[in-house]
Amino acid sequence: MRRLHPRSAVVQVARASLQGAFLGFFVGTALAGMLGIPRVAIPLLAPLGAVITGGLALARYYRFQYEIAGDTLAVQSGVFARQSREIPLGRIQNVDTKQGVLNRLLGLSVVAFETAGGSTTEATLDAVDQSEVERLRRLVHRHGGDDADRAVPETDGDEATAQSAHEDASEPTADSVEELFHFDFSDLLTYALVSVRPAAPVLLLAGLPLGIDIIETVLRTNFELIGAEASFSPAVLTQFSPPQLVAFAVLTLVQFVAAALVLSIVLTVVEYYDFSLVRDGDDLRYQRGFLRRYSGTIPLSKVQTVSVRENVLMRQFGLATLVVETAGYSGGSQQSTQGVAIPMAPRESVYELAHDIEPFETIEFERPPTRARRRYAARFSILVGVVTAIGYAVDTLFLASGYWWVLGGLFALVPPAAHLRWRHRGFALDDDVLATQTGFWRQTTRIVPYYRIQTVFVGRSPFQRRRSLATVTADTASSNSLLGGSATAYDVDEGTATDLRDELRKRLYTDLLARRADRDSVTE
Amino acid sequence: MESLHPRVRLLWVGRTAIGATVLLGLVAAVDRLLISLPLEVAISGWAVLVAVGIVHSILAHRIWRFKLEDDALFLVRGVLTRTDTSVPYVRVQHVDTTRGPVERAAGLASVVVYTAGSRGADITIPGLAPERATELRERLRDLAGESEATDAV
Repeated sequence: MRRLHPRSAVVQVARASLQGAFLGFFVGTALAGMLGIPRVAIPLLAPLGAVITGGLALARYYRFQYEIAGDTLAVQSGVFARQSREIPLGRIQNVDTKQGVLNRLLGLSVVAFETAGGSTTEATLDAVDQSEVERLRRLVHRHGGDDADRAVPETDGDEATAQSAHEDASEPTADSVEELFHFDFSDLLTYALVSVRPAAPVLLLAGLPLGIDIIETVLRTNFELIGAEASFSPAVLTQFSPPQLVAFAVLTLVQFVAAALVLSIVLTVVEYYDFSLVRDGDDLRYQRGFLRRYSGTIPLSKVQTVSVRENVLMRQFGLATLVVETAGYSGGSQQSTQGVAIPMAPRESVYELAHDIEPFETIEFERPPTRARRRYAARFSILVGVVTAIGYAVDTLFLASGYWWVLGGLFALVPPAAHLRWRHRGFALDDDVLATQTGFWRQTTRIVPYYRIQTVFVGRSPFQRRRSLATVTADTASSNSLLGGSATAYDVDEGTATDLRDELRKRLYTDLLARRADRDSVTE
Repeated sequence: MESLHPRVRLLWVGRTAIGATVLLGLVAAVDRLLISLPLEVAISGWAVLVAVGIVHSILAHRIWRFKLEDDALFLVRGVLTRTDTSVPYVRVQHVDTTRGPVERAAGLASVVVYTAGSRGADITIPGLAPERATELRERLRDLAGESEATDAV
């Protein structure tokens, strides 16, 4: 059994000792009176704390052992509560690495093994050096290669893949690593500008202790700008005339949006700096990050769904994002970026790579029936009605400007909004995959091979029932459930919905049987 | 298509009644301790909730249907949003029978089917007679077991 890299032991012990010293000092001095510790002993509390926690960290380092033997990853850990874990290599979906600034300087990485269906990482190695990362990846990859003989990954070129998997197993050094995509700085900036994540960064800022002060200062400045005294209290708002209030609101909003934009751009640049995507045999591997370096593997044989995402701006410039979803968990703070294969590239390149991963013909989407537009129009009208009612209430109670009916102008936006939503929804039954599309501001095209479909749902809300519409959802095992995980065909005609459901069930079985037949013929 | 046991309506109404009573208790407590709330309104609210619960249970039982088809477990449910669910046997990871305390009191059981899906990871058939539940679980396990283990994901 191996241990983690000695340098990581140094880091952990040093960190723990520092924490222990601080703890010992502060807690000790706080409780000195209560515990009756003699004055003389107080300076010793810090080193004592350091020794205790440092010793624990050292013990933890010595107790943590792991090894890949045969087809299992075994991990033993724990000082007081011993824990022993064995994970079959075939279950490992992704092997991801993370490098903080300190670890980068020391040449170490934190390795995380993800399996399907778990909400937490199965095993984390904190930390190992680069050669060990390569060795671990190779071993997991090679075992994935053996599995590829039995679980055929692609419908065409099956024998070729099986053969190359054989070769990979016998000659690990002959892996062909093909670079698929690289982000240079100008592309990165474009991506940062085009994929804005509005509210999140500013809310983050507000959470910081300094942030509240900053916000207060900004609001106070705004007060002065619109010609009022700088006393900061909600009661002051009633002294303002409507135009002043509107100016104040607009000014604050503009500042908020600008700050959010800038922060979002900076965060995106830092996260996606030097992004590269390579194909290593049967795996896709990506690397990214400026301060913290992330890298992940996406085993192609475990791909559940491929999604192409294009927001409004991207569509104008013919760009798109490619997301590859596997059954590994996508928890933690990296949820939104897990499985991103290509952050942004011309649409054709994105579709080309998607096609490599999961073959499909050019997709012609079937739009919902036109009566679905009436449903959307009704929904949006209700929304505008509610907004107008709120505006009326706020106006009569607070502003007294008499201009609340201006909000009624929003009704003019309802027909185009309904039409756009209708136009950007659809589904297609291809030879090998089900494709669904939805979204105007952020259009997501989801491509699911039939043999990856899990449960099929057909839902009909009361409003849908009135118009003979239904929504069909094909569930998959990809755990990206916040952003997807299931392919949904919205507002399909009722008859088409039942046909679609039966068709999906049928094709799931025929595809699985075909793959099983191929698999059996290869091993014979 | 098979229906649920008629007693499940009692179970559902019972659950609604318990929930409504707890809510009423909370309102009474707030009324006693903090601010005075109109108790007559609360009691009539309780009656309304229970009445709605009764209607909902009757309708839900009428709509709930399931069937073991050739390739999948098929079920229909939902009063407001009518949903039909198809769980292919080859995707079933494992099957459980469960009996919560209220269920046990009513002499009923549920069957829970687990898949690897993210949205529909577990599908529950409530309100079955215990023998039927066990029978269904065994049948589903047999049907699921006929497929290869690697096909489940």
